[in-house]
Amino acid sequence: MNSDGFVETEGLTKVYSSGKIHVNALKDVNLSLEEGKFLGVTGPSGSGKSTLMNLLGGLDRPSSGSIKVQGKFISELNKEDLALYRRYQVGMIFQTFNIISSYTALDNVAFPLLFAGVPKKERNRRAEEMLTKVGLINRKDHRPAELSSGEQQRVAIARALINQPKILLADEPTGNLDSDTSRQIVKTLAELNKNQGLTVIMISHEHSLLAEFADDIIRLCDGEIVQEEKIR
Amino acid sequence: MRISDYIEQSFSNLFKRKLRTFLTTFGVVIGIGALVSMFSFGKGVQKNVTDSFKKMGLFNYIAVFPASGRDRDEHSHTDPDEQYDQTQNEQVPDSPNSPILDDDFLQEVRKIEGVESAFPEIRFPALIKFREKEQFSIVQVMSADVCQSEIMKLRAGKAYASDAENSLIISDSLLHRMDVKETETVIGEEIEVSTLAIDSALLNPANIMSIMQGEKLPFSQESYGFTIVGVAERMGTGGFIPVRSDVYIPPGPAEGMKKISLTNIRDFFQPAEKLKGYSAVTIKVASIKYIDPVKEQMEAKGLKTFALIDQLKEIKTAFLFMDMFLAAVAMIGITVASLGIINTMVMSILERYREIGIMKAIGASDKDVKKIFFFESGMIGFLGGVFGLSLGWVVSMLINQIANHFLAKQGVPYVNYFSFPLWLCLGAIAFSIFISLAAGLYPALRAARVDPVVALRHD
Repeated sequence: MNSDGFVETEGLTKVYSSGKIHVNALKDVNLSLEEGKFLGVTGPSGSGKSTLMNLLGGLDRPSSGSIKVQGKFISELNKEDLALYRRYQVGMIFQTFNIISSYTALDNVAFPLLFAGVPKKERNRRAEEMLTKVGLINRKDHRPAELSSGEQQRVAIARALINQPKILLADEPTGNLDSDTSRQIVKTLAELNKNQGLTVIMISHEHSLLAEFADDIIRLCDGEIVQEEKIR
Repeated sequence: MRISDYIEQSFSNLFKRKLRTFLTTFGVVIGIGALVSMFSFGKGVQKNVTDSFKKMGLFNYIAVFPASGRDRDEHSHTDPDEQYDQTQNEQVPDSPNSPILDDDFLQEVRKIEGVESAFPEIRFPALIKFREKEQFSIVQVMSADVCQSEIMKLRAGKAYASDAENSLIISDSLLHRMDVKETETVIGEEIEVSTLAIDSALLNPANIMSIMQGEKLPFSQESYGFTIVGVAERMGTGGFIPVRSDVYIPPGPAEGMKKISLTNIRDFFQPAEKLKGYSAVTIKVASIKYIDPVKEQMEAKGLKTFALIDQLKEIKTAFLFMDMFLAAVAMIGITVASLGIINTMVMSILERYREIGIMKAIGASDKDVKKIFFFESGMIGFLGGVFGLSLGWVVSMLINQIANHFLAKQGVPYVNYFSFPLWLCLGAIAFSIFISLAAGLYPALRAARVDPVVALRHD
C-alpha cells in the first residue's frame, strides 16, 4: 500500500510521556488508502488503534512521521487550520457516541454548522435533511436519553457528515451496541461508502463485521501494523 | 461563529444552570448596586452643592476687603483683648495705598469690563418688632437691583422696586422665630426696625456681649417703620455668601438711619472718624471668566479679595476623596462578585469538560471555545450590570424617600440626594461587563486549553 494515496502516513509514531515513563503508542506506521475505500482496523486493547484514529482525525499530533490527506500534510497544520480540517475534511464517530445530552437530536446534528458560521435557519434545514438520511427525522426533537443506543449512534453519524467530509473515522462505533444494531450501523457506513464515495476508516474488535463490509483490514499490535488483509 | 450564535449559546448555557447563574449574577448585582448607589450619592451631593451655588449665581461674586484688616484676620490668632490693643495702637487702619471703599470706588469698579454690579456690604444689628414680638437681628442694606436678581430667593411677595422705597424683605426663618407660620400673610404689613447708635465713650467688650445676647440695650435707640414686601428664603450662615441676613432694606431709607456697621467686629472699636468707606464690597461679574481678571485688578490696588469659585476647587478635592472612599467600599463587593464568576466558570468547565472535547472534535477552534466561555461571563456581567443598576436605583430612591421624610419634619425642603446621570448608568453596565470579562479570562483560556483526546475519554 505504498502508492500515492488519499490518506497516507509515513513513519507515524506517537510517544506518550508521563514523567520518566514513555509509552510507544504507535511505532513507524506506514499506511496508504485510496479514496472511496473502507478500511477496517482491528487489534487488541492498547494496540494503538484509537491513537491512530486521533492522529488521523486531527485531535492529536504525531511525535514523528507525517500524515498526508488529499495531498496536504495535516501533521504540519497550525491549530486554527487543524480545527478547519476537523470541521470540513473529516467526520468522527465514537464508541460512546459523544453527543451532547442536553441537546435535541436536531441540535446535536446542527452543532458543527455553528462553528462553520452557518445561519440558524440553514443549520436546521441541513440537520433535518441529514436526520432524514439516517431515518431519524421523526425523532428530531428527542434528547439522547430518549433515544436507543442505535439511534444515538445514527445521530452521531448524521452530525459527523453534516459538513460533507470526504473521510469518516469510526472509533469502535459498535462497541456499545448489540449485534443486530451493530450490523445495521456498519451497514449504514458501508452504504455511505458505496453510494457516496465516502472514505471510511473503522476500528472494530469484531473481525467478522469488518470482513463482511471492509475493503481492507489492518491489524495493529503494540503500535505496529502486524497484518494487512485485502478482502475485496 | 456568528455573534448572534455566541449570544444565543451563552444564554442557553446559562439558562441550563439557572440557580447557579442566578446566584453568581446576584453577587454581581449586589456589587454593582452598591457601586451605583454609592456613586449616585456622591454625585448627588456634589450636584446639589454646586447646582444650588450656580443657581444663585454665587460663583459670579467677588468680595473685596481692605487689605490690612483681612490680613490680621487670617494670620493672627491672638486673643481678642490683645487684638483690641493692637488695633487701638495702629495709626491708620488701611494700608496707605489701598483705596477707600466708598461710593467713588464703587463707581470706578462698575466701569471695569465684565462687572455687572458692585454693592457695598452694609450690615448692622437692629431690633425687629412685629406683631408684638421682638427679635434681635442683622439688617443688610441691599440695592433693589440686587434684590431683584436670582440671588434673592423669595418665598412670597416680591423685591422692592426702587432704592428709595420704605420697604423691606424679611427671611422666613426670622418669621418662624417670631412664631409666624403662614409667611404669605405678612406681605403688606407694617414692621418696626429699631437701630442702635453707639456712643463711642461707652464702648467696651463687655457691653457688646450683652447687646449681642439682647439682654439690654444701653445705647440710644431709634425706631423706623417699614412695609414688608417680600419673604426671602434664609441661606446658610457659614462662609461667604453675599446675601446672608434676615432683613434687607433699600439704601435710600438706610442712609438716614443711625446705625453701626457689623461686617467687621473691629469696627466697633474704631473711633467714628476713622471709619472711612465700607468695610467690604461685593462685586458681581457677568460670568465666571471675569472672576480672575477682576480679582487681579482689585489685588493690584492693594485690596484683599475672596471668591467662592476658589473654594470650589477645595470642595471638588473633598468630593474626590469622598468618591474614592465610596468606590473603595463598593469595589470590595465587586471583587467578591468577580471571584464568584471565576468560581462558577471554572466549575462550568469541569462539568462541560467532555462537551468541550466534543466541540473541538467537530471542528471548534481554540478561539471558538474561548469565546463561548468569554461570552458567558460577559453575559453574567451584562445581566448583573442591568439588574445591579436597577437595584442601586431602587435602594437609592428608598433611602432618599426615608431621609426626606425625616428631614421634612425638621423643616428641610425636599432634596434629591442621589443623581443618576446617563454616564453613570451606562458606565455601571460597561464596568460590570468589563469586570466579568476580566474574571472570565482565566476560565476561558483554561477551556481553550482542554485536550480533546483526554476530554473525549473523560466520563
